[in-house]
Amino acid sequence: MDTETPQLAISRVFDAPRELVYRAFTDPDQLAAWWGPIGNSLPRDEIEFDVRPGGYQRWTEVFAAEPELRVHIYIDLTDVADGELLEGIMHATGQLPKGIEPFETRFRVEFHDEADGRTRLEIRQWLPERLSAPSEEGWLEAFTKLDAALIRAQAIAADHQG
Amino acid sequence: MAGTDQLSAVFSALADPTRRAILAKLADRDATVTELTAPLPISMPAVSRHLKVLERATLISRTRSGKWRASRLEAAPLREAADWIERYRRFWDSSLSRLDAHLAAVQAAGRATDRLADDPTVPGSKVPDKEL
Repeated sequence: MDTETPQLAISRVFDAPRELVYRAFTDPDQLAAWWGPIGNSLPRDEIEFDVRPGGYQRWTEVFAAEPELRVHIYIDLTDVADGELLEGIMHATGQLPKGIEPFETRFRVEFHDEADGRTRLEIRQWLPERLSAPSEEGWLEAFTKLDAALIRAQAIAADHQG
Repeated sequence: MAGTDQLSAVFSALADPTRRAILAKLADRDATVTELTAPLPISMPAVSRHLKVLERATLISRTRSGKWRASRLEAAPLREAADWIERYRRFWDSSLSRLDAHLAAVQAAGRATDRLADDPTVPGSKVPDKEL
């Protein structure tokens, strides 16, 4: 597992058992039913899954409103625990939306039991290498402290004036 | 790509809380030395010295318009990273909302199938197991 702090972390609870939520990610027909914003679709004959550690998930995304786009998603699965965990590197290539370069991103999806047969998803995603080179990563970390710094500065100023 | 010296300059510039406070203020909008000094408990010459450090680190640029010299945050690489994160957050938000609806539909269909399969009045009602 990547110990670096992910730049994106999402937690969400679903009113469905863990096994079912896991299958929504690992069954081609099911993933095609919900993946992506409304308006995109995944041609069924271009979905290929081999879900196991060292396996892969591959599909193509097309967009009704922008027929010139064809996004190829290749995921190399680095870690899989049935019903519990999917971790891998997602590669996005093809005809991407304007302004988006092909990229790869590390992600981790954990499936946790919650009370009353519900399931909590913990999604972690790391910035593409290009964007998280040491300098920018340092910046990002530094900038997350900025709000706190500003609040402190305001507090100091208030004390000063008081 | 910034060289090592440049990187050191960035890190040492960001290490100081006053300079971070200045950058936070510049994240809202460009500002003059006078405007930047107002909320801080330090003198204008002291703020000017901090601005020189930030400028050397290329975290800000300074423009002259009339007699006022305004400082501007230069955080293009940072902004690109922030945009990427925001785009993916929106992507997950909309996907997971669809997933929510999908799971509800799958479960409703599963319950309907069970009822149908259990109903003795429906001939041959045993639907192939869809592994729901």
